[in-house]
Order: sequence, then structure tokens, then C-alpha cells
Amino acid sequence: MSSVSLFNVTKSFGAADIIKGVDLSIKDGELVVFVGPSGCGKSTLLRMISGLEEITAGEIHLGDKRVDHLPASDRDIAMVFQSYALYPHMTVGENIGFPLKMAGWSKADIEAKAREIGDVLQLLHLFDRTPKQLSGGQRQRVAIGRALARDPKIILLDEPLSNLDAALRVDMRMELARLHRELGATMIYVTHDQVEAMTMADRIVVLRDGIVEQVGSPLDLYLNPANQFVAGFIGSPKMNFWEAHSDETGRVIMPSGQAVVIGDHVSANQKLTVGARPEHLVLCDDPAQAALKGTVLSVEHLGSDTFVQLHCGIGNPAQIDINVRLAGIVRVSIGDALALTIADADNWHLFDKDGVRLDQGAAKAA
Amino acid sequence: MKASLTKKICIYLGALLLATVIAVPVLWLFIMSISSSTHLTTLPLQWWPDEPTFENYRSLLVFAENSPSASFLYGIRNSIIIAFCATGLSIIAAIPAAYSFSRLPGPRRKNLLYAVIAIFMLPPVAIVLPLYTVMSALGLLNTHFALIIVYCSILLPFTTWLLKSNFDTIPGDLDEAPIIDGANRLQAIWYVILPIARPALGAAVMMAVLLAWDEFFYGLLFTNDIRAKTITVAIADLAAGRVADYGLISAAGILAAVPPVVLAFFMQKTLVSGLASGSVKG
Repeated sequence: MSSVSLFNVTKSFGAADIIKGVDLSIKDGELVVFVGPSGCGKSTLLRMISGLEEITAGEIHLGDKRVDHLPASDRDIAMVFQSYALYPHMTVGENIGFPLKMAGWSKADIEAKAREIGDVLQLLHLFDRTPKQLSGGQRQRVAIGRALARDPKIILLDEPLSNLDAALRVDMRMELARLHRELGATMIYVTHDQVEAMTMADRIVVLRDGIVEQVGSPLDLYLNPANQFVAGFIGSPKMNFWEAHSDETGRVIMPSGQAVVIGDHVSANQKLTVGARPEHLVLCDDPAQAALKGTVLSVEHLGSDTFVQLHCGIGNPAQIDINVRLAGIVRVSIGDALALTIADADNWHLFDKDGVRLDQGAAKAA
Repeated sequence: MKASLTKKICIYLGALLLATVIAVPVLWLFIMSISSSTHLTTLPLQWWPDEPTFENYRSLLVFAENSPSASFLYGIRNSIIIAFCATGLSIIAAIPAAYSFSRLPGPRRKNLLYAVIAIFMLPPVAIVLPLYTVMSALGLLNTHFALIIVYCSILLPFTTWLLKSNFDTIPGDLDEAPIIDGANRLQAIWYVILPIARPALGAAVMMAVLLAWDEFFYGLLFTNDIRAKTITVAIADLAAGRVADYGLISAAGILAAVPPVVLAFFMQKTLVSGLASGSVKG
């Protein structure tokens, strides 16, 4: 079994609490991504699982074995470092074979296994080079190869793609996803890039200030963010937010003055934050029905999409800028007046004054 | 940037001056060593001997009981034993010490590091008397062992500091990676950190050997005959007789420089740095 379970795990450096009581259960063979802004503790959490960082309190279990008291070398975990951490004085082959050497394998077995991995990762022609003779992408592959050497059941990856250029990153992302499928190993992947998180993860763990904000599948997080932070963090471009309130009957007053019924959890005269994803806003033919009205501040034509920034200067609140992503080519220019709404009432997101999601009836299916 | 001609000339003149300042005394030493003592004392001074002779070298290198050659050859032997043992011991102790200063946390460890430097700064005169008393009480005076111990105390702070500053430049990921790969801390040091730090290790060995080789003060005070006298003391003895034979002293000086030069020649390859590049992103 190679599940990973954290029970109320905490980490403090002196008086500073970095990880504040994390409970998490990762299933065998799952690819889980830790995502969050820098300083949220995601790398620290990963290092605590690896054993490179001691935990202050709580328990970590790998499979059904408690490991938080074990040193990193005894946890049988592989890890890919952000910096790759290749051994500069060893060749590619020796780098990949190093974990096997430490495990006491014979020279011939190490050579055979390293070649097998080199073959999978297309590194065989580089086998006798040292790391400084390799490109960034090749070094990345060697680092992954070294992690795979011992057939680990759990592989930790700490921002493995952040040093690669954009094109290579997409390639490596697909390669990692393929390796995950083929190996069936449990993978925990740390990134600050929500696109990486969305594309690779079976489940995403969103962290902020050492607290797990939400755990769920990528679409779950996209459709049903638990709070305003997750709603703003997942999705690109970011969700639009504005302050609003409800009237006596529980309808939400939009900036245009239009009152909209959203779910059945809004009480009368409640202060709210309304969220709307740029891609869910659509042009509204009937200005009387529009939720948002404003003038166009900027337009970006990408062909497949048209990004519009809209300045809404009327109604309440007095001033907001809204980002809109309209499908296809839409002929608008700066200064035009636009009226927008959301077609499906399910795509409105409501948060109370603490930023917690107001449940809009049944959760949308992921 | 293209240096102007004047600048170039200045740089070369400066280099030439520096080379002269360093090379001329060595050259003079060599000329003295192949001159006879009569030549060296004639006036006006002769810059090059009429009959260059290697007699001085012969009388130093051909062993004869109770002659300068006995004192010299034993001195070389003692210096080799003492310098290499002291260097070896201090490097063996400095590696874990430097690693711990560089990698392990704790404010008290930091303070200890400054204590190390403070000890290094202490003038030998300040501690020679208590050390002498201790060695005398232990019956260690005039032994290799006494000088090895004393030299270790000089070399250890120096090598520790040198290695520590080099370990500091090795990314922390490089000792975490082997631990993840199943190595224990000693294996991580042995298989990863030390090979990367090889140029610094080479430099530390080189400097330590030189430091021990050139030491005179403790050597003079803690030894009294050929059983333990080091080469520096042996050379000084050549000058201490009724008549100082400058030719002989010069030849001894030239010969005494040979072992460190040979060592430097063989360590040259190790000293070339640049191994650490390419381990992490780039």
C-alpha cells in the first residue's frame, strides 16, 4: 500500500506556525497537487512528508506504517527537487544508479536498471555525460530518472518544471502524466502554477498560510470553490468579485441595479461578495435584463477568444472593473457600452462576509 | 571592454615588478647555493660565481654521521612525517567539523565557530609556555607526536574555516538528495559533498602542509636533536655555528622547498575548481 495520510500535522519555526494542523488522505496511485501562493507552506508540507523536515506535532502514515519518526532515508520515498540536485561529479548513468548503489545493489544490476530507466526517459545517448553538459530539460529527465530508480511507491515532486521554458514545460507535464499512468505510483506534486495543477491532478489541495483551504478534483474546485480564496486562485483569468447585498426578498442586487435570484440560501438584506468567472459572462441583448453595464476599457483579440475589460461606473458599488472572456471574435472597441449577464444562474458564486461560499442548493456535478 | 595600450603596459609592468620581487630572492638563493663561501665574502660582490659548484648540495645529500647532512636529512624526514601526519589528522577532523558548521543549525554552533577563529588568532607566544609544561610533564618533548599535536591545533581552525566556507557554496539540495536516495549522512558527505569539494580539499591540504612545513617557533622550542628536529630548525642550526656557511644554508633552503613544490605539482589538477557548476538548474 502506498497511501499517504496526515493527521493534524503541524510545523512551527520558533513562534511562527508554518503548517497549522493539516489532515489529508491521499489514496494509492493518486496524483495529488499541492497548490497555493508562495509562502503558503506547500513545499514545507512536502518536505515533512519526505522526512527532510521534522514535524512539530501530528502523525504521518505511509500505507499503514507510521513514519514521522523515521529519517528520510528509511521512508522509501523518491523526490525530484526544484533545482534537480544532480550530482555534478557523476555521469547521467551514475546519477540514476546512485539510489541503487546506496541500496547495496551489485554493479551489474545497477547498470542494467539504470539503462532500463534511461531507455524509458530517452537518456541512453547521454549516459556518459555529466550534468553540466546537459540542457535544462535533459537535467530534469535525469532527476526524474534518479527518482524512478528504486521503483518507488511514492514520488514527491517539488516544483519540478519551474526552471523550464514554457514549451518544454508543456512537454514535461505530459510526460509526467504519462509516467504516472504507467507506473501507478502515488505522486505528490507541488506547484504555484494553477494551470499545472488543473491539468495534471487527480485531486488538488489548495493551501494558504499553512491551512488546507479545499481538497477536490480540478473541476470540483473550479465549479464549487469552498471560499473566495479558492475561487480567486483557481481559474485563469481570475474570477471577478464585487461587493453586493440582497433585498428584502433575498434577491441579489447587481451593479446595474438588476435584482437576481441566485439559489435559495441568501437571506434578506445580507452583505455578500458576488463572483463571476470571465468565461461565464455573456453579452446581453436586453439592457434591462443585464447584471453589469459599463464601458470597454481595453480589448484583446486572440482569435479564439476576445478578452474585454469593462469599467462599470454606475449603480452600486460605484466603481468596478470586470474582466470578460467572450468566445470567438467579438467586434467591440474601446469606449463601447456593453451589457453583460450570466446565462446560467448556477454560474454565479456567492460568498458571505467572511469569504465562505453560500451554498446554492445542490453542488454542481464535477 | 578593450583595455587601452597605456593600461595594458601598466598592468604588464606591475606584473613584471611583482614577479621580480618574488623571483629575485629565490634566484639569489640559488646563486649563493652554487657559490663557494670564499666567493660570497669577496669584495666587490660577484653576481655569478667563476666556478659554479654543487658541492653544497652534495654535502647536504650524502649522509655522514655528525655532519650537516645528518642534521639536514633527518630534518627533512621529521618535517615530512610531522607535516603530513598533522595535515592528515586535521583534515580528518576538519571535514565533519566544517560540515556541521556549514549545515547544522543552532546559534551555539555559530559562537563555537568564532571561538575557533579566536584560537587561530592567538599568538603562539601566548600559549607556548603552558604547552611546553604539559608536553614536558607527559614526556613528549623532542618527539614527533608533540609537534603533530601542536600543529594540529594550528591547522585545524584554518582547515575547518576553509572547508566550511567551501561547503557553504554547495547547494543544500545536494545533501538532501542523497538522503532521499537512501544514504545516511556520512554516505552523503563521502559520496557527494567531498567529491564536489575536492578543489577546496586540495587547497586545504596544500596550505596545511605548507603551514606545518614552514613552522619554526614550536619546532625550535619542542625539539633538541635529530630525532625530532624539523627542517626549519635544522637550517637555522646551520647558521648557528661559529662560522655561518651561507652557501650551505642556501642549498638547504633550495632543497627544503622541493617537497612542497612537488606536492603542489601533483595537486595542481585537484586544485582546478569549477566542479560544482551544472549540478542545479542552469
